[in-house]
Amino acid sequence: MDKQLDLLQGTLDMLILKAISLSPLHGYGILLRIQQISKERLEIQQGSLYPALYRLEHHGLISSEWGESENKRRARYYRLTAAGKRRLLSEAKRWNQMTAVIAGILQATPEEL
Amino acid sequence: MNLWARFRSWTAAMLRRTRMEREMDEEMRFHIEARAADLVSRGVPQQEALRQARLEFGWMEMTKEECRDAVGVSFLEAPAQDVRHGVRTLLRMPAFTVITVGVLALGIGANTAIFSVVDAVLLRPLAYRDSGRLVAILMDGENPVSVANYVDWRDQSHAFAAMGAADFWSPNLTGVDSPEHVAGLKVTQDLFPMLGIQPTLGRLFVEGEDKDGADREVILSYRLWQRRFSGDPNVLGKPIVLDGNAYIVVGVMPPGFQFAPFWATHSELWVPNAFGARVHNRGGNSLRVFARLKDGVSLTQARVEIAGITGRLEQQYPGTNRDAVVTPLKEKVVGQIETPLLVLLGAVAFVLLITCANVAHMLLARGAARQKEVAVRAALGARRGRIVRQFLTESLLLGGLGGAAGLALAVLATRVLIAMSPTNIPRMQTVTIDLRAALFLFSATILTSVGFGLAPALQASSINVNDTLKEGSRGNSEGISRNRLRSLLVISEFALALMLLIGAGLMIRTFAALQAVDAGFNPHNVVSMVVSVAGSREADPARRPIFYHQLIERVRSLPGVQAAGAINHLPLAGDLWGWPFIIEGRPKPRPGESPSGVYRMVTPGYFEAMRLPLIRGRDVSETDKATAPGVVIISERAAREYWPGGDPIGKRISFDDDKTSPPTWLTIIGIAKDAKQDDWSATPFPEVYLAAFQNHDFLGDSGSEVASHTSYITLVARTASDPAAVAPAMKEAAWSFDRNLAISQVVTMDGVVADANAQPRFEMLLLTIFAAVALVLAGVGIYGVIGYSASRRTHEIGVRMSLGATRGDVLLLVVRQGMWLALAGAVTGLAGALLLSRLMTKLLYGVRPTDPATFVAVATGLGFVAMLACYIPARRAMRIDPVAALRCE
Repeated sequence: MDKQLDLLQGTLDMLILKAISLSPLHGYGILLRIQQISKERLEIQQGSLYPALYRLEHHGLISSEWGESENKRRARYYRLTAAGKRRLLSEAKRWNQMTAVIAGILQATPEEL
Repeated sequence: MNLWARFRSWTAAMLRRTRMEREMDEEMRFHIEARAADLVSRGVPQQEALRQARLEFGWMEMTKEECRDAVGVSFLEAPAQDVRHGVRTLLRMPAFTVITVGVLALGIGANTAIFSVVDAVLLRPLAYRDSGRLVAILMDGENPVSVANYVDWRDQSHAFAAMGAADFWSPNLTGVDSPEHVAGLKVTQDLFPMLGIQPTLGRLFVEGEDKDGADREVILSYRLWQRRFSGDPNVLGKPIVLDGNAYIVVGVMPPGFQFAPFWATHSELWVPNAFGARVHNRGGNSLRVFARLKDGVSLTQARVEIAGITGRLEQQYPGTNRDAVVTPLKEKVVGQIETPLLVLLGAVAFVLLITCANVAHMLLARGAARQKEVAVRAALGARRGRIVRQFLTESLLLGGLGGAAGLALAVLATRVLIAMSPTNIPRMQTVTIDLRAALFLFSATILTSVGFGLAPALQASSINVNDTLKEGSRGNSEGISRNRLRSLLVISEFALALMLLIGAGLMIRTFAALQAVDAGFNPHNVVSMVVSVAGSREADPARRPIFYHQLIERVRSLPGVQAAGAINHLPLAGDLWGWPFIIEGRPKPRPGESPSGVYRMVTPGYFEAMRLPLIRGRDVSETDKATAPGVVIISERAAREYWPGGDPIGKRISFDDDKTSPPTWLTIIGIAKDAKQDDWSATPFPEVYLAAFQNHDFLGDSGSEVASHTSYITLVARTASDPAAVAPAMKEAAWSFDRNLAISQVVTMDGVVADANAQPRFEMLLLTIFAAVALVLAGVGIYGVIGYSASRRTHEIGVRMSLGATRGDVLLLVVRQGMWLALAGAVTGLAGALLLSRLMTKLLYGVRPTDPATFVAVATGLGFVAMLACYIPARRAMRIDPVAALRCE
């Protein structure tokens, strides 16, 4: 299998929610966080991050405020809202159920049938 | 929401927008700088780090666009945004945009122009009040009615609110500057009120004005009023002189008023119609009858009633009243031109369809190049509908530009159409690009834009995001379905083009067949004019024959004139009188079954001037005078019809009705070749030529009512060279006798023949233009598809060549693909043409709608064009260097 995995359409939202659930982050920080957690195995087109952020904010799942970055620059920080937390939980649950089901199918042996 | 609140909310949105734009910009710049800083810390040089950071980020404008989208834009802002984006996209490819807009302008403009013709000529109601209730009642639906019959119908029927009738009357207008022969009508008093048109000036005829002796009023057309009386309002109440009699002007009709609408359309004045003794006449048919259906009475009811009345009258007066037909007035006006115009409308719609297909092509090809852009947007969460909308906006932009250019084109095209249209198309002068045409153009533009834009939009929005975004992907997934769509488009383009070409081919063959028709006479180098004596000194029966003689003599002696003569009505241009006659020694025919012929009166020299050969016998001569025994020449058709197998020469006929005894017999002295009468493509009716100088109607001393219709002659002169050049000298020759002679209808016979063929020429010309456009578009279409597909197959061709395929093999490979498409299109088109060409039957002459020669020739020709269109990309494919082709993978 390829070292870098294609991002499934729609999963980017979940990854963003997860990344900022740990601490508020600016856009570039979110990118680094996802790459770091995934051990560089996920490739995200950098530009594609922002429309997702704007959409999540528009839906009230995250909120943003301007703050100062580690190198003293003005940056926009995103944090999870209560709705965002609920959404992350339900998405994670759904995802785990699905991976379990699919993993079960893939591990099936002839004897089990 | 009140206006103020609306404004506030709008400004708030705008302010929010500006802030969002500013923040978005700052946020993304921060991202890139932070990334660059990271790279620098890993040892990448500053400049290179910035460049790389930007590259990794991707196209910032696109990202911003997606962000705006994600936040959601108001329904007002979204289209504006799409338009902005569309304009940018189109500006980025000016060549494509210009070509597409040009092609669309052609298609939409041509359709609008033809629609405006169809609308003005066919669709619009006639310009009378509630004109849908107006009908014409004519014998066999086209022939005039006798006065007595009209009076009976009018008095006995109940289905009509009013019934009026009109006679053609073409008097000489004298006493104002130069005399003029004016077309007019004698109308019954109830006719104009029935039309519901008020005069611009004065009044209509009133009750009693069509009674004998009270019929000396005249109503002028607006045009005549302007032309001869300079629009002088004081003309009311003044007398004008028509055929030597004074008529009082009582009214002026509004501009654009036309009556009658299907015959005598150029009438410029109307006088009351006093029937006099004709009120008992059932033999002489000259009236056209018009009626308005009573409210609540249907056409069918009216027809039933008229059938009942005419049935009773026929029993009472055998041989009369047969086949009176009630026809809606509009059908009378447009019936003849309906099919040709609808065929043209269909043809031009085909052109638009081909245009659509062609533009769809180009968009599909471009769509392939834009897959990445679309994929990025889809990956970023752009919904499919959003992408479709964006693509459709671009299509609408293209279509809108095309429509705007098409509007200008349509305005131009209608002017050209009016100028080149045959004169017999009714209401053609009223064709303009008006609101209705503009509305048509607008709908055509929208439909066209959606038509050519939808498929590419759906195709573009349904791509596989992952495959497309993969680095190095060549977008192979586009292959089959996209190519299938493009192939379908080419096939339909070919099928449509083939159908149009067959239509044009059939028209060309029709026109060729019409050109080959023998008129009977030789129309080259012949000029003719109508000289009317009415109202002049020469009208005096004592002077008239001498004047005619001297006039013809003088014309003969003009330089450049080889022969000259005169006739009452010129073939193809003049009136046509059918008169019954009796044959000596034969039993009296049953009513309605007597022999009849087209009635001509000729002077010596007419046959020579027209080069209308006499098959047998002799021409009329100077000795055939009023005092000499009556003579007549008949046409071949008359000889065949009434003396089958026998020799008519020496036999005698008479035009006197059986009341006169003894009848005046005319001895047949010759048989002339059949000559065309009023319809170029029809077989001529039997025809008789009387010696003019022994005919008392012609000489003006018969005292019969017919004499007032024979106060003119049509001079015919054969010239050595350009006949039109002799016309002024001929006019002067006539005026040298009397300045009060009205001269009209100065025409060359070549011109008359051209006019007789004007409609088929018009149809042929337009269909050929449409077919030519279609051919070019279809050729370009197949070239585009094959060229595109060949360039996508560069790699494959390289492999084939490196495996030993020869250049010939490659050529065949590429050409074969195109020829399959052409063949599929041709088969579809031939089937379509077989079905549709039947609709053209009415337009054709001398060729069947399924003419195999035309079908084969067109299909072969189109095949050749397809071959050529495939050959060019095939040659390019042949030159592919296999090594280079493989390396570029």
